[in-house]
Amino acid sequence: MRRGSGRRWAASGVAVLAAMALTGCLQQPGGGGSGEGLNGYVDNASADGDGKVTMLGAFAGEEQAAFEKSLAQFEKDSGIDIAYTADADFTTTIKQKVRSGDTPDIGLFPQPGGLLELADQGYVQPIDTYLDYDQLESTLVPGFLEAARLNGRVYGAPMRMANKSIVWYPKQAWDKAGYQVPETMADLEKLTAQIKSDGTTPWCMAWGSDQATGWVGTDWIEQFMLMLYGPDVYDQWVKHEIPFDDPKVVAAFDAFDKIARTDGEVYGGVKTVVNTPFAEAMVPAFKDPPGCMLERQGNFEISFLDPKIQDDLDNQIGVFQWPAEKAGEEQPLLGGADLAALFNGNDEDAIKVMEFLTSDKFGAEWAQAGGWLSPHTTFDESNYPDQTTKDIADMAKNAPEFVFDASDAMPKEVGSGTFWTGMVEWVQGKSSEDTTKAIESSWPQ
Amino acid sequence: MSTGTDVTAGASRAGGAPAPGEPTPPAQPAPASPREPGDPDRMHLAKMLIGLGGVIVVVWFIGNLFLAMAYHPDWFGSSRILIGVIALIAGVAGAWLFFYFLNMFVEAMPGRLSRGVMPYAFLVPGIGLIGLMLIYPTVQTINFAFANSDSTAYVGLDNFKDIFTGGTSDEFWLAISNNILWLIIVPAVTVVVGVIVAVLADKLSPQGEKVSKSTIFLPMAISFVGASVVWSLIYAYDPANEDPTGLLNAVWRALGGEPQTWLQISTLRLNSILLMVILIWLQVGFAMILLSSAIKGVPEETIEAARIDGATEWKIFSQVVIPQIRGTIITVFITVVILVLKVFDIVYVLTNGRDKTNVIANLFFNELVNNEQAGVASAIVVVLLIAVTPILIYQVRHFRREEMGR
Repeated sequence: MRRGSGRRWAASGVAVLAAMALTGCLQQPGGGGSGEGLNGYVDNASADGDGKVTMLGAFAGEEQAAFEKSLAQFEKDSGIDIAYTADADFTTTIKQKVRSGDTPDIGLFPQPGGLLELADQGYVQPIDTYLDYDQLESTLVPGFLEAARLNGRVYGAPMRMANKSIVWYPKQAWDKAGYQVPETMADLEKLTAQIKSDGTTPWCMAWGSDQATGWVGTDWIEQFMLMLYGPDVYDQWVKHEIPFDDPKVVAAFDAFDKIARTDGEVYGGVKTVVNTPFAEAMVPAFKDPPGCMLERQGNFEISFLDPKIQDDLDNQIGVFQWPAEKAGEEQPLLGGADLAALFNGNDEDAIKVMEFLTSDKFGAEWAQAGGWLSPHTTFDESNYPDQTTKDIADMAKNAPEFVFDASDAMPKEVGSGTFWTGMVEWVQGKSSEDTTKAIESSWPQ
Repeated sequence: MSTGTDVTAGASRAGGAPAPGEPTPPAQPAPASPREPGDPDRMHLAKMLIGLGGVIVVVWFIGNLFLAMAYHPDWFGSSRILIGVIALIAGVAGAWLFFYFLNMFVEAMPGRLSRGVMPYAFLVPGIGLIGLMLIYPTVQTINFAFANSDSTAYVGLDNFKDIFTGGTSDEFWLAISNNILWLIIVPAVTVVVGVIVAVLADKLSPQGEKVSKSTIFLPMAISFVGASVVWSLIYAYDPANEDPTGLLNAVWRALGGEPQTWLQISTLRLNSILLMVILIWLQVGFAMILLSSAIKGVPEETIEAARIDGATEWKIFSQVVIPQIRGTIITVFITVVILVLKVFDIVYVLTNGRDKTNVIANLFFNELVNNEQAGVASAIVVVLLIAVTPILIYQVRHFRREEMGR
């Protein structure tokens, strides 16, 4: 027995030692890479100039089909074979691929945060080295390229736009009641008061999104931050140059309080807001009589609507841009974009694909399929399938500036962590001060 | 029979000859010239070389085959089914060939050495795999618990300070308190309900027993995520002016109550308890099956004797049956305890820790994946590991006693 237990100890000792040796302490910090991106070219492991370009992105299914369709003609003309792979967990996958030296030629980033992180480590080719920067800037809504800027250089260019400053309403009921599109925040308040006096709850609202519940609320706060203080303060807020519990942010929460937490303003009250999936927010708006009249949501709202409504979209739904605070003020647009970034800087074929992807020529087929907006003001609008989409695209075209969804750009601990949960706690009754303070204290040092 | 079996089996066999249950070494092909009985210690160099070469070729070939599947799926027509079938055949055949050549290699050694090495030759690959898949990650996790958020530099005890007293501490202690609550409630209720159902089912007609047992066992076949989705419909909320979709709210409203958002009511941790109900629902079937077979194994004579002595049914149950199925009760209890310590899916799917329902595993997941704080996440797991260890040790000991008692 003694001998047996001694042996067992020896065996476990060896096992632990072996594991320690295998462990090899810690991982190598990222960076280094092959070319640093700034002076030379960043390169990846794939062959250059072989007529094959690999691409990794987040969208799949119907969107992927529409995307590939919009590349087909280009592939035919140029002889370049583009292989697109969809990965729902793109943000994590691209990091792993970079670490293991297996980057695609082109990455399509749904948020700027991940792109800037990799650019900072020297894995991404700055766009000014292979694209006509001035030409690109002249056709884009101002602000798009700013989101991908790091230390003065831009590392990605948008290939799809999302517009989040939209208010939707059920057109039939709206016209019957004779409501007018508001020009200012005061008009909007008058409108909601009018809707209320007509016996309808003004706002449709639903935040339920499983693990991500709360993001709808962050979009609202972003909209108020942008409307109240403009893009400069908004930018400071995103970059944490003003603290999250700054009085300005608290004021934005309080402004939203007048809608979200005031009796009779929101369909079903707070309980319904948190417990209804965000895709179902507008369901009561199409009941007879309508349960609510207004919904603030991104352009992807269209895809959540009842297929019957989608088929008759222009007659069933109306849109207007979130109004400015005061008359005559321009209202910047809140939204997002998929940014294309180049990992293989010395592959002529990949550069050609990037040129096409970031031009206003790209996307006609995708636009016709629906659900896609070009970030270029010069994009041929006749490609959009309906008037509603054209209106939404026009909002971006006429916007003085475009700002990115703040929660996408904030550090993950906040942007997809405490900001989300904070919004849920806030809407259930926590004070604006306590909520912002809690989020501020969670900001990574 | 249960999770502990592997552990004890491994421990009791270590150092001994392979037990009958283990894959027996493939039969030696009849050698061309039978080995002389008087010369067992002679080394068969050629056979050793063939064996060694065979092992290397098999490992090389199988390794490359699997790499090819990963990197060049087009070589296999990009067909996942084909790749799966090939992987299955190659995996099983490869393992067989590997041990065949390994056996040839060891048997060709001089007799004494061969007998000494043989058990290890068959144990080492398995232990090596356990080392790679279990021990290495464990040690690495403990290592990372002392490192920063992307595991590139050591930060001492900062992560532990963070979870015990720092920025993550509120959530951490909340998660700990919830885990303790889960630990107190779920295993006990599961065992009690399991025993009750097992006893009652035992008294039904054979047909009734079959049906009722199958019904109660059915949830076992549902994944945790699936069960969570099912129960999210039961707990669903709709405003008072709409028809209720949630079963619980429908009942509640029929009794005259206002619709409730059940999973947000943290008073008395009601929402956590409602989540526990899901796990109990899933596990009662498992408890019932084991306990039922244990109850059926109680010798009739002991019950008969108690009856003759004039004991009531309750006395028979509590003083005759229960002591005899005590071992099974402990087994079920510990299995559920370990399951509860790992509980994640239900909380992640239904609340993601909102409204004071967080548990350690969910906190860990969010720190690692959402916040990308590998250091803090590892520290949390290390605490969980330390908490589980005494239970595992107890379980192993308990099993040993059981085995000896048999």
